[in-house]
Amino acid sequence: MTDCDRRTFLTQAGGAVAALSFLPEFATAAPQPTDGPLPVALVGVGRQGRSILGELQKMQESAAVVAICDSDDRRLRSGARRAAGAEAFADHRAMLEKRKDIQAIFIATPTHAHRQVAVDALQAGRHVYCEAPIAATIEDCRAIASAARSAPGLCQPGLQGRSDPIYKLAWSFFRSDAIRDLISMRGQYHRKTTWRTPTSDPARDKLLNWRLDPEVSIGLAGEFGTHQFDVFHWYTDRYPTTIVGAGDIRLHDDGRTVADTVDCNLTFTGGAHLQYNATLANSFEGRHEVLCGSNGAIKLAWTHGWMFKEADAPTQGWEVYANRQQFHNDEGITLIADATKLAAQGKLKEGVGLPNDPLYYSITDFFNSIVKNEPVVCSIEEGMRATAVGILANRAIVTGEAVTIDDSILKGS
Amino acid sequence: MHAMGTRFEIAAEGNDERQLRAACEAALAEIEEWDARLTLFKPSSFLSYINTHAAAQPVQLDDDLFELIAESIAVHRASQGAFDITLAPVMRAWGFHKSHDSREPTIHSRGCISADAPDHTPPCTPADLPFGMSDLELDEAQRTIRFKREGMALDLGGIAKGHALDLAASILRESGVRSALLHGGTSTVIGINAISTRAGADHWPVQLGFDQPGITVKLRDAALSVSAPHGRTIHMDGAELGHIIDPRSGAPARGTRLAAVVAPSARLADAWSTALLVLGRRPPDIPDSFTTLIARDTDEGVDRRIEGAEPRLFLLTARRAIIEEEEPYDRL
Repeated sequence: MTDCDRRTFLTQAGGAVAALSFLPEFATAAPQPTDGPLPVALVGVGRQGRSILGELQKMQESAAVVAICDSDDRRLRSGARRAAGAEAFADHRAMLEKRKDIQAIFIATPTHAHRQVAVDALQAGRHVYCEAPIAATIEDCRAIASAARSAPGLCQPGLQGRSDPIYKLAWSFFRSDAIRDLISMRGQYHRKTTWRTPTSDPARDKLLNWRLDPEVSIGLAGEFGTHQFDVFHWYTDRYPTTIVGAGDIRLHDDGRTVADTVDCNLTFTGGAHLQYNATLANSFEGRHEVLCGSNGAIKLAWTHGWMFKEADAPTQGWEVYANRQQFHNDEGITLIADATKLAAQGKLKEGVGLPNDPLYYSITDFFNSIVKNEPVVCSIEEGMRATAVGILANRAIVTGEAVTIDDSILKGS
Repeated sequence: MHAMGTRFEIAAEGNDERQLRAACEAALAEIEEWDARLTLFKPSSFLSYINTHAAAQPVQLDDDLFELIAESIAVHRASQGAFDITLAPVMRAWGFHKSHDSREPTIHSRGCISADAPDHTPPCTPADLPFGMSDLELDEAQRTIRFKREGMALDLGGIAKGHALDLAASILRESGVRSALLHGGTSTVIGINAISTRAGADHWPVQLGFDQPGITVKLRDAALSVSAPHGRTIHMDGAELGHIIDPRSGAPARGTRLAAVVAPSARLADAWSTALLVLGRRPPDIPDSFTTLIARDTDEGVDRRIEGAEPRLFLLTARRAIIEEEEPYDRL
């Protein structure tokens, strides 16, 4: 960590600690289980919030959205149209105070606003699903993690890879040495978009376009990289020690200063490197992660996954019957979740992707942890680590300086 | 952008390219979202959830979807049953829901249908299939939907495209876009205002391409939808049958070559153009302000009938358009 980073984080931490002193007196108690659907609330009804509402709508037996909250009146009104019967609040504290029946809170506010909502909700004894990255500064990450550790409720960061059935399947192959020694890693997020939320009201522009505001934005590496860095952490049990990076505006030269294209190199413990590239100027090959080993490679693309074997790698029995796809000179073995079950139903060839959005599985896991006491699929510690790496990768890109990551950052101390 | 089995495009006019791009992206994202919600062909859609659960218990809807279904019921009634959103089992039985390479009608001649269920249900008549708007129960107070019969399934294909375009247009307007033309599959179009740089152009001229000389529709804050039996078709007993089902018979509608409706919203234009293709005439309960065109094949040729009135909208034959020295945009 550079001195500059430490100073910035400490300064930002000061403001955040001051904010904590205004916390209302919430009763801290474990959420009481209820019969019927779990009463839940959503804070932040932007596009991601609406995606969460969309998935919850298909889980009506498990959960009922009883409240929604957004400080932007227009978003709140349009969000209310997607959550029939939900009470609308402009302030999350008023919501926590009034709706004691809420068991779980989904947080989908702008990243830099997560901390206040998460800490308040956890201290109010509610279960929390916090979108990732969990915060925009390391101090905020620590505050959320600290609140989660002492809270009676659960806290699951929204790192969807860990709930994705294809990623879990590929993880089991990776952990059983299917590609043998790890050689290299790469990840990319390619999408052609302005990343700008349109508004005819200049007063709302700063509020809505926080991703393009260098004061609070953690850039492409923070917003998208965090999700992907976590996949590598989870698979390898390794974390980066140094990050170098660069960013530029390659297409959207519209007055913004937040880079629309970034590249970085993360050196992991044990010497392996991760090359990461994200751009808003091109959509080729979308979003994926690749782990290369001495016996093969695994490519993960959220709703799809493949394994590529080296010619000298041993063949497993199941591979003989597996579906395959040709990628130029390489043949990928399609990784299909529940392949045996699908084969028994004669449905194996109908589709090779996930039937649901990865978000669906992440929310399902959250409910299973609450209702069935299953372990939280992604701990707040891992959420904090992935977010910290995203923040520091952005720092390396913005400053152009190598960032060293010491243990204290990843341990949250 | 590809969604709902077709291509969506937006042309927007304005001086601030930065805002225009962002607005168009947000509008297209809205269409994508509705595609994901309303597709019949993905188990992850909310429509699939409704179709799987609504016979067993009421399913909670959001306001947007509730209003869409309520409006569908209103058009069903006003069109004397010619518009129906419960035809999924019938469409499936006729083979319109299968992929192109395996599209085989499971209907037998003489009007008997065999439902193409995996268990090879024996042949049945359309009346035996679980469809019908009267078996749809919409609870306004609770905002829920319920099917009164097992096996029912909604197919919103006759209105979803227009609905998505309406919401996309509303995002464009909220974002400050004052002039735009957006369409889905060139069959449903919305014209938002028009501040074209072309002198005197205060509307978006859209040419209907089914006939020569063509008909030009001038849109200004209005929507146009065109329905025709061609596109998705099946062949049976030597005849080509179009994909629009007459809900009153359960069989593909015949006799009308094309129906077009200009209406204040795209979803109403969409639903009514489907209904008019089935009816082959303008029913008394369609709002007076909607302009309609129905083209029917007769022994003497094509009979084109333009009816209705809407001061802001004009339906002109090409000849009259030429007199006005109007040239249609070639954007569609």
